[in-house]
Amino acid sequence: MVRVRRRSARQREPKDGLFTVNRATSAKAPKEQDLRFYGQPDPLGLRQLKEAWDSRELLLSFFQRDLLIRYRQVFVGVLWVLIQPLLGTLIFLLLFYFMGAQGTASGSTTAFWKDASVILLGMLLWQLVNNSLRDATGSLVNYRHVITKIYFPRMLLPLSSLLCALFDLAVGGVLLIPLAAWFGEGVHWSTSWAGLLAVIWLALFCFGAILWLSSLNAQYRDVGYVLPFLMQIGMFLSPVVYGFERIESSLSYFWQVVYCTNPVASCIGLARWGLLGSPLPPILGLVLAALLTLSLVVSSLVWFQRSDQWMADRI
Amino acid sequence: MMPVQNPIDDSRQNSVAIRLEDVSKRFRLGTIGEHQRLTEAISSRLKSLFNPHAGASNTQPKDFWALKNISFDIQRSEVVGIIGHNGAGKSTLLKILSRIVTPSSGRVGVQGRIGSLLEVGTGFHPELTGRENIFLNGAILGMKRTEIRNRFDQIVEFAEIGPFLDTPVKRYSSGMTVRLGFSVAAHMEPDVLIIDEVLSVGDQAFQNRCMGKATELGNQGRAILVVSHNLAAISNICSRAILLEQGSIALDASPKETIRKYLQSMRYDAGRIQWEPDQAPASQEVRLHAVSVRNATNLSSANQVDIDQPIVIELDYEVLVQGAFNTVQIHLKDENGVFVFSSANAPSMSLQTDETFGKPLDVARYRTECTVPANFLNDSRYILSVFLGPQVGKPTIQCDSVLAFSVLDTGAMRKEFLGSWYGPVIRPRLAWSSRPIDSY
Repeated sequence: MVRVRRRSARQREPKDGLFTVNRATSAKAPKEQDLRFYGQPDPLGLRQLKEAWDSRELLLSFFQRDLLIRYRQVFVGVLWVLIQPLLGTLIFLLLFYFMGAQGTASGSTTAFWKDASVILLGMLLWQLVNNSLRDATGSLVNYRHVITKIYFPRMLLPLSSLLCALFDLAVGGVLLIPLAAWFGEGVHWSTSWAGLLAVIWLALFCFGAILWLSSLNAQYRDVGYVLPFLMQIGMFLSPVVYGFERIESSLSYFWQVVYCTNPVASCIGLARWGLLGSPLPPILGLVLAALLTLSLVVSSLVWFQRSDQWMADRI
Repeated sequence: MMPVQNPIDDSRQNSVAIRLEDVSKRFRLGTIGEHQRLTEAISSRLKSLFNPHAGASNTQPKDFWALKNISFDIQRSEVVGIIGHNGAGKSTLLKILSRIVTPSSGRVGVQGRIGSLLEVGTGFHPELTGRENIFLNGAILGMKRTEIRNRFDQIVEFAEIGPFLDTPVKRYSSGMTVRLGFSVAAHMEPDVLIIDEVLSVGDQAFQNRCMGKATELGNQGRAILVVSHNLAAISNICSRAILLEQGSIALDASPKETIRKYLQSMRYDAGRIQWEPDQAPASQEVRLHAVSVRNATNLSSANQVDIDQPIVIELDYEVLVQGAFNTVQIHLKDENGVFVFSSANAPSMSLQTDETFGKPLDVARYRTECTVPANFLNDSRYILSVFLGPQVGKPTIQCDSVLAFSVLDTGAMRKEFLGSWYGPVIRPRLAWSSRPIDSY
């Protein structure tokens, strides 16, 4: 039981300083214009970006939390980041070996390693898409108990999932690309800027996609159910486990362009061209994919800003 | 989000910390949660596209205004209490203030950082250690990393979790988790503090700490909003109180006035149960008509009675057979089912003689009244059971938990002690005296 001091003491507070309260930590006098008003018009959703940037420390905390949780009570720890794409690559290599497809079957070691690096790069980039979309879609719903109790820029939750996926990509890329290149033809450093560009592009695409998916999932949980299925289709619609040569040799130019409007396909194609010297996808396809990505990002910002207003009511 | 750390000047006293301008919040009844599936949403859109009248009959959206045109300013260093019935919009108001919920119209301006003690421990992750959770939780509450680092030792010390700092929170006892959560929240030093006692978890000791924290922060010149059902606390901590009624401000005045109005408005709900003759509990000899509770000074029944007034329990019944015998017995239990007392209108159990006891009765309607003295029950909810029958202890009519009523603390026993009376089932006034005695 606590004795609560009578409040009225403060109203009697004399000017002579007898009852000086400890104000050392108090804030200075704010003027009326210091009031921050909530919900200013934000048609393009740019203000929310600024708010997200202002609370980047929280984003870092979420990111840190996601990383820490992932490797709690996990025996091989961070090695999982490497094991998953490596195993995936191995499985597809073996599959192609037995099916007699690609260079693997020709028996040449160089061709084998080249295939391996092509698939591995595809797997790593695909993992960025897959992991960020998978984790981000549920990020708001899983954090419902906090969203309905405290306000913070909600965008940070899906963003943190994206950061985690980028972290995986960075670890995998730094360790595995040189390894694959060592046995293959080596990395084409002169055009490696394209690889970086592709990663940034893909990250932007994921950014737009996760803002849409996470907020839609907050209202319609179907999104979470249908996503794994879509991802499976997406994996085969993108040149993840096969090279762009296959598309080039089997589709007409028109259909190649159509194929490349899929930003993931374009990004992977671009990265392979830049890093491994694979054929460049048709420029028209790349441009279309870039426009598509841009519109996805813009629309996702607008949509997320709007959905933010009913988030706590409907989640 | 910006903690301002410049020295203060006195004009601070008169500056606005929170401003609400014509804030309203509308909920659409019937549409929330209706389109939880994407396919349904799409199909209903399509339906309404092709046939604008279809579905209009079964999914008529009804608007419910949780808040309507609320405007007020709260100055720095003001402590404002918000009271109102359940569903009056208190929680919605707090959620709008803390930006969780967006108002349907109007706008809210806030100076500085808002903190609330209602989300203690929210965002703790069971897999993370206490140390990691302090940083995570602090960041969610809006603290900067450096702030958390600076106050880290205080937080740990206050939470008394020192040896378990690097243990995952999932291995903490619930008490430790709450302590840690509170400690983080208490050290965030917000410019505006929101305390929702109704929602906050934790035992009474914890809620008292919340109130203690409110007093402390109020002394530091921060704006504080308290939502509480503890009217005594409101009247003692707050310098101003706002009464919400059905989403509108009914009164914004001194705590005393507001509480008085609130208590008056409480009387709307009759603490009375009445039966139609064919549905009434009855034996062959007696039929119960009504049971009600009221304050002795108040003639109309109420489910809320003041603690400092005698409480009258009334039973109306009809004797159906000439010459029948009847006794009345009551049981009072508290909300947790603790048996508070049992009493009957037998002479040895009554302060005065009940005329009807042990006598053959005429066919007529009777009213039995039992008076529970003032300042006897605690401020709690009580559940009444009544028993009628020819002999005490052998009832032929049993009405278990027939009526519930709340005893309201008017502050009559709180002149010196403002803390909690939580725990005891009754709170009687007893005779106390002290005198010096010669022991040698």
